[in-house]
This record gives sequence, C-alpha cells and structure tokens, in this order.
Amino acid sequence: MNKTVVLKAEGITKRFPETIANDNINLELHKGEIHALLGENGAGKTTFMNMLYGIYMPSEGSIYINGEKVDIKTPFDAINYGIGMVHQHFMLVESLTVLENIILGLKNQGVIINKTKIKKEIKEISERYSLKVNPEQKIWQLSVGEQQKVEIIKVLFRGANILILDEPTAVLRPQETEPLFEIMRKMKQDNKSMFFITHKLDEVMAVSDTISVLRKGKVVRTILKKDTTKEKLAEMMVGRAVLFDFKKEKKETKEKLLDVSNIEVYSDIGLKIIDNASMDVMKGEILGIAGVSGNGQKELVQTIAGLRKTPKGKIVFDNIDITNKSPRFIAESGINYIPADRIGMGLASDLSCIDNAIMRNYYKKPILSKCIINYKKAKSYTDKIVKMFNIAVADISSPIKLLSGGNMQKLLFARELLEKPKLLIASYPTRGLDLASTEFVRLKMLKIREENMSVILISEDLDELLSISDRIAIIYKGQIMGIVDSDTVNKNQIGLMMAGKRFKDIQ
Amino acid sequence: MFYFEKRKKIPKKLQITIPVVSILIGVLFGAVAILIVGINPYTVYKSLFLNAFGNWYAFSETLTAATPLLLISAGLILVFRMGIWNIGAYGQYIMGAIFSSYFAIFMPADIPKPLMLSMMVVGGMVGGMIWAIIPAILKVFWEVNEVISTLLLNYIALFVLKFLMYGSWKNPTSYGFPLSKPFPDSAQMPIIFEHTRISLGFIFAILAIIAIWFIISKTKFGYEAKIIGNNTTTAKYAGINVGKNIIIAMAISGALAGLAGMVQVSGIIHFLQVKINANYGYTSIIVAWISYLNPIVCFFSSIIFGGIASGGYSIQISMRVSYGIVGLIESIALFSLVGAQIFLNYTLRWKK
Repeated sequence: MNKTVVLKAEGITKRFPETIANDNINLELHKGEIHALLGENGAGKTTFMNMLYGIYMPSEGSIYINGEKVDIKTPFDAINYGIGMVHQHFMLVESLTVLENIILGLKNQGVIINKTKIKKEIKEISERYSLKVNPEQKIWQLSVGEQQKVEIIKVLFRGANILILDEPTAVLRPQETEPLFEIMRKMKQDNKSMFFITHKLDEVMAVSDTISVLRKGKVVRTILKKDTTKEKLAEMMVGRAVLFDFKKEKKETKEKLLDVSNIEVYSDIGLKIIDNASMDVMKGEILGIAGVSGNGQKELVQTIAGLRKTPKGKIVFDNIDITNKSPRFIAESGINYIPADRIGMGLASDLSCIDNAIMRNYYKKPILSKCIINYKKAKSYTDKIVKMFNIAVADISSPIKLLSGGNMQKLLFARELLEKPKLLIASYPTRGLDLASTEFVRLKMLKIREENMSVILISEDLDELLSISDRIAIIYKGQIMGIVDSDTVNKNQIGLMMAGKRFKDIQ
Repeated sequence: MFYFEKRKKIPKKLQITIPVVSILIGVLFGAVAILIVGINPYTVYKSLFLNAFGNWYAFSETLTAATPLLLISAGLILVFRMGIWNIGAYGQYIMGAIFSSYFAIFMPADIPKPLMLSMMVVGGMVGGMIWAIIPAILKVFWEVNEVISTLLLNYIALFVLKFLMYGSWKNPTSYGFPLSKPFPDSAQMPIIFEHTRISLGFIFAILAIIAIWFIISKTKFGYEAKIIGNNTTTAKYAGINVGKNIIIAMAISGALAGLAGMVQVSGIIHFLQVKINANYGYTSIIVAWISYLNPIVCFFSSIIFGGIASGGYSIQISMRVSYGIVGLIESIALFSLVGAQIFLNYTLRWKK
C-alpha cells in the first residue's frame, strides 16, 4: 500500500453545549486506502465526517490535507480540497436527469451548458469505475442502488480524491452491496482514498484496509484489517462500561408472558428487516437483546408495541393475540415502550413537561373527566414524577426540549414505568444518563422483575445486558441467533453471535 | 458579518412586536402605492381609520366585516395548530353559501323563520364541511398534500357557484345579471343592533372562537391535536388515531367557513351571486397567523382586519383609492410576518 498521508486529523475535538461529540481524535488517511470508521450510533462518526466536509468546525485540533494545514469552513472549501461526500440520504433532485443533478451547483459551467462534453466526461468516469448509469434518465426512474451511483459520479465529477461514504450500504439490498464494494476497490486502485462509515462488521472485513473503532467520541483503536477479526471488533465497539454488580436471585418461573413466533417486518424503505424471528419472555424476567445496532432490534420491538405490522407470524401477550393490533390496544393490554429516539418518537419536544408527562394517561381518569383534561391534576401528576425521579427542571410548563437529554430520558422512563406495565420494553434506557441515573434506572428495572413483571432491554452495553438480564437474545440481520442464559454465556460467545454465528455452532 | 444565533427561549415581547411591525410595514408599502397614484397617504389613512373606527356606524361596519373573518379563522386556528394547511376556506365559504341558499331559494317562503334559518345554518355548515373533508380524506388515506387539494377545490367551488348563477339558479327577472332571486324575509338573519348590519352571525362568531379556545386548551381532542401538531410519529406512538383527528379538525374548520358563507348571504347580501366576498377565506389565513394561532388574540386581529376591509371600501368610494390597497397591505403584512418568524427562534448578531 502507498504510504503517502493524504489527510490527517490531529487532536480533533468537537464540543456541543451538552456533550463532547468528538474527543481528541487522531486519524490518518493514506493514498489509495479504504479506511473504515466503525462505531455504534452516537459514537461520533458522523460528527467527525461533518467536520471534514465543512458542515461543522472543530472546537480544537487541526486538519491537514497533503501535509498542509487547512481550515474547512463550508462544503465548498471541502470540495475545493478534493473531499467529496456521499450522503446516506441522497441529495438528488428527483425530477431532474442524472446529468442535471451531476452539474447542479457547479459554478464553472458558464451560461450555456455543453452537454456533449459533460456526457463524455460522465461516460469516462462510469466506464473507469463501472458506474453504469444513463445520463438522460430522471432520478425518480432509478433504483436506490443506481441513485447511489449517481451520487458517487457527482463526487468524482467534482474531482474528489478523498471520498467520505456515510453508511452507503444502509439503503442497499444485500445483492447490491458487493457491486458497491467492487466500485470502491476500483476507486482504490485509482489511488482514491476513502472513509467508509458503517457499523456492519462483515462489510468492514470485506472491503477495508484500515479500521478505526470509535466509541463515545474517542478513537478506541486504529488497526489493520489483517490484524483483527470480526469478534475482536465487536468487543471494541461495545466496550466495557463501569460494571455494576447487581445481585439478583435466580427465578424458576416458567410462565410465558409474551410469545413472538415467526414474524417478518419490513423497514421504512421496504427492505426485509426482521426475518422469521421468534422469541419469548417469561413472567418476572428481564430479556436482553444484544446486537450491533441496525440489525433489526428497533423494528422487532416496535412490532411488539404495535407501531409496525407483520404480514406473517403471531404475537401473543398474556394469552391475548396482539398481532397487528393498534398501539393503544397494546398499551392498554400492559405493554409500555420506551423508544430509542426520544425526541422523534417518545416525546413532543415543543410541548411542556406536563403535556409530555400525561401522554399515557390523558384519556383516563383522573386526568380526564367527560372529555375535559384536568390540567390542575396533570400538573400535580407531573410534579409527582419530577420529585420521584429527581428530574432537574426549572419550570414544568416550559417546553421539554429545554431539558438536558438525561432529564428528558428520566421523564420518559418515569411516564412509562408509572403505567405499571406487565411488560416494559426499554430501548437504550440508560443512554445519555450519568452514572447515578444509570444505576437508578437499572435498579428500577430489577424492581419490576421482583414484582413479577417483565422487561425487554435493548442495549449496546454488553456489561449492562449481562449484569441485569436473565436471558439474552442475540439478533443479527433480523434473525435471532440464539437466546442464551446470561449466567452461563460469556462475552466472547455473544460477540460471535453478534457477528452472525448461531448459538448451536459455537458450542 | 451578520449571523444568526439560536435563541434559548422565545421572548414573549416579540410575539407582540412582530405582528404589529408587520402590519406597519404593510401600511408603509400601501402609502408608497398611494403616493404613486398621487394622493396624500396621510389623508387616505386618516379617512380609512375614521371609516373603520371613527363612529358607531363605522365601527358597526367593521364588526360586520370582522364576523366572517372571526368565524373562518377560528376553524383555521384549530387545523393550523395540527400542522394541516387548509388554504381552502375560500371554497368552503362558497359551498356554505350555496348549500344554505338552496333553502332560501327553493323552500316555500312562508316557512317559520327559526326553522328556515336553522336549515340554512345546518346546510351551510354541511356544505363547508364536505368541501373540507374531501382533502382531509385524500390526505389521510393517500397522502395527498392538502395545500394543493384545498387550493384547487377553491376554484372548483367558484366554478360551481358560477355554473349555478349563470344557469338554473339565476333569477329570471334579473335582466341577465348572475343573481338568484332575493331571499324571503324568513331567510334573512336578524340584525342584533338597530340601524347596523351586525347580524346574529356576530354572536355565532364569538361563540365559535370561544368554543375553539375551549377545545384547544381544555379537551382531550385539543390535547391530541397539540401532539399531532408537534410530531405525528409521537402521536402514533402515544396511541392517537391521527387520521381520525385530522378529518374531524378539517370538518370543524370547513363547517365554520361554510357558516361564514351562510352568514354573509343570509345576513348581508340577501341573495346569492358570484361576488360574495369569498376573499375573506384568504384574509382569514392572515388573521389566524398574525394572531399566532391564539384564539383570544384572534378576536382582536379580526376586528383590526375587519376595520381595514370596511375602511378600504369607504376610501374606494370617497377618495377613489382602489380597494386593491387593502389586499396590498394585508399581503405585505403576511409576507413580513412570515419573514420575521426567524427572529422568534434566532437573534441577529454581529461579528467582526
């Protein structure tokens, strides 16, 4: 491999009012190298790339391109330095042709556009990297994979030598992935350098040369692909958090509370994201779900909560068939759900803490009587929650978005918990919480268990899963790789299953 | 270089300053237009003001014009708060006028007044409601953008009205003018203040705005509307039937616009014709926005805009300044208001 450093990041730190998104990041990108950036959601991959592309400015640190210190203030600067970004959500105008999209925003085209010349250039690029597209077609006529090719041509047309590919495979069908890798390899041969952002381990092993693992805004390690394995990477990604040693006694309940059998779910863009999955939850049990994010855990629990439909299979809860029932029906049956996306789904961010606190009981007595909401009672209910859960809030009548992430999470957790669910589904309930609050939330979940209620816990923290759940289900590409007893399994085995091995194969 | 910085909190004061300044900017541009015509803007505005608020009769005309504005914007506040952009009050108003006129034109004139008016009120509300439910259903089931569907339905409503007025509903004795036969006395809304044109419709308008305030701030439906307006994903997560709520809200909004149309033909015009001031449907959008979708503020904004409208008619007659000046003031006020929204969430700062 060529050893010329084309891009160097030195001590990059990015602070936001509440968090440090990137903490002293040092990275080098070599000429003709595919450098994978691996990390969970929120690890800081995207923030870092946005700084390279001039969307954010770093709070500290410097970026060097070909050994020269640069200030990238806008995406225009980035393009001028030869940096191109292929966004996860395409930036294409659907009603325009491929050619029109490619030249959109270019300033050196003059008044009259020389289509023949541009077409020739596009053809050259297409042929060299096997990016076959017809420049005269409209974007809306193209498949997602073809649109991605247009995005790549667009970047190459602008003369980029450093490409940032932001989760390029997230939108692709499995059979479209390999052709993309082929394109990446061709670009590599042509001495282009690439940052490849992903959280899929298989892909990293398939295409990259160097891998940097990010966690909580820091580079855990940069390592050559040949020196590592999928399993080691999984462990680095998830990391070791502070270990709380929770004492919990073994239970011998064998009464099934939830039985999910053979369900199938499609993602928002129509890809099969849950593939014939089955699992069960016992009464008084905490079932952990482990898996690299994006493998279907969100869709699995949303289907149980009634927010997604399954065309196949059956979900039985407490002897009632809840398959494809409405979210209200399922909540009333005793399942409460804490979504991972608290601002986008769990909370109404512009509304007050009061409005948010009563979202689960506004239609029931005593908050509601004869179609009228008793806001006085709503207020005292909110006050109660704030006190019980120690939520730091100046004024419960002001919009909830003014609260810190941790406090929002506490309110959301409290709201769902106080409904006394038979089954609480908690997605990343401790994400963004400080240590004390984390422990508080974990103890609450254990208390639910003691009261013979159940919890489904999705977490990216293996230690959390191992210490508080009774069993752990491992999910990979929408399939359950196995459900294991948390007392007998070890992290290494979970790591293997997270990377796609079945439980029966690793014993 | 100037740059925008995000505010932590929206200052309450700005919520008053921005609409007031927006109206003033509209007035300023109106003054330029008047100057170009070669008339002294001060005398025009003075006359406009006196003709709107100068004496009891002028003010009664202002309240008369405020009546449909208040009725329509009451409904718009509800749907706008849910994030549904009903631009179709114009068409809903026309359909309300047509449906209610049917009874006045074709029912026997000797039906007792309370019965006749009740039928007309219900008919007008149903007419507006139908015209609002169509786009609501298209939106809920097929994701058709309601801005486009409501806007297009406005034209259809106008053409339906023209079709009737030049066709079968035309009064044979109107010498070819597109007018219906005059409404019988039983189909004319009672006037509540003598020697004015303030009809019973004004009471309806006040009741409507109070009802909307009550729905928004007290009821379960209002709470659900709030959540939907904030984020439909959250609403679905909370178990709210988003589609049903959208249809109900649009039905209410359409019914109120339809009622406004009924009040206009039954209380003011006393026959159906092509020109029934359906532009109130568009002005009400401005009224609702300039009130920041607050029903109590909306009561006062309706009176201000009612004043501009009635004063505008007077100056057209007395000073030969085109009524178009009113549209100019209104639209520039809305333009400034929308443009100034950025100052609610951002503050302008100066750096080097």
